[in-house]
Amino acid sequence: MRATLFTRRPRAHIGAVTHPPQIFDRALLRRRLARAARAPCDFLAHRVAEDFVYRLSGISRPFANALDYGSPHPAAAQALAAPGRKILRAAPSLHAESADLVIDEEFSPFAPEKFDLVFSALSLQWVNDLPGVFAQLRRSLAPDGLLLAAMVGGQSFVELRHCLTQAQEEFEGGASPRVFPFVDLRDLGGLLQRAGFALPVADCDAVVVRYDNLFALLRDLRGMGATNILAAGARRPLSRRVLLRAAELYQQNFSDPDGRIRASVEILWLSGWAPHESQQKPLRPGSAQIPLSSALGDKSKI
Amino acid sequence: MTEERKSVAAAAGIDPRLLEILVCPLTKTVLRYDAERNELVSLAARLAYPIRDGIPIMLPEEARRLEDDAA
Repeated sequence: MRATLFTRRPRAHIGAVTHPPQIFDRALLRRRLARAARAPCDFLAHRVAEDFVYRLSGISRPFANALDYGSPHPAAAQALAAPGRKILRAAPSLHAESADLVIDEEFSPFAPEKFDLVFSALSLQWVNDLPGVFAQLRRSLAPDGLLLAAMVGGQSFVELRHCLTQAQEEFEGGASPRVFPFVDLRDLGGLLQRAGFALPVADCDAVVVRYDNLFALLRDLRGMGATNILAAGARRPLSRRVLLRAAELYQQNFSDPDGRIRASVEILWLSGWAPHESQQKPLRPGSAQIPLSSALGDKSKI
Repeated sequence: MTEERKSVAAAAGIDPRLLEILVCPLTKTVLRYDAERNELVSLAARLAYPIRDGIPIMLPEEARRLEDDAA
């Protein structure tokens, strides 16, 4: 009896490591993105593309070999186009615009150290195994290469989540997962560091989008391919009365005086460098040459 | 990509510079370009990734499984 217990435990552990939980149905996501490409909603993509240009403008590097890693929309790649810079666009679906190749971001098809810049606009929020993806991206970067990515974060669409849950509870006595879990800003720096990135930085850009009503918001989400792709989610569409009740709750709780509703979107920005000896590093503990007391003044005599 | 660029790429099969930086997404091993079938073959994964309109589709679900005698 005891022996079986012992042989089972390590096996379960290995399974947990090699197969991260499948939260997102990636094949379904590709179909959603293909549908979205027909009537795209791209204001977020353009906002993020402008930010990419701004954020890179502070770094005086040519970035001659850049990789667009899985951005659904080509806006970022178009905005970053520059003379002397080659941008390879790896798109996440067969129907994405101006693709050079199609990839699943969880399985990078790139050889080691081929790029000096990898960027990704609004794609990594749909990845099941973010640490695994970071490790693969780190390998595809040449030493001193930069990863810069924007993804949708945990404080996004909280109002929608609240209203759908409450409406479903009222009519169906329980809620099914509809709005997916997001990564928290606080976790990102640590994840980048674990993947071997130097100088990891994460920050967030809070955006409030206003809509006429819940249905206009849902139409935009569809246009971004962002409707429910949870592997464990309910595939059955929400009933009409639940949707109408959710729209009513949204209007009551999250609208401006002019009647338009607010949707919060949090864009998480993350960056990290492939390690290189030229980069700044903390000094070794105990290697200081000047005592701290000489900087602070000797307070022991007061 | 414009239609014109697409047709040029399709005629050439695959950009050799692109082939140089690609590996099998599952096994990270080298890929062999099969000009006849217009596929990228991963012997290690026993999969052939299709190239459609000059665009390599590096999705395992879209790849053709190699039979034992082929490749």
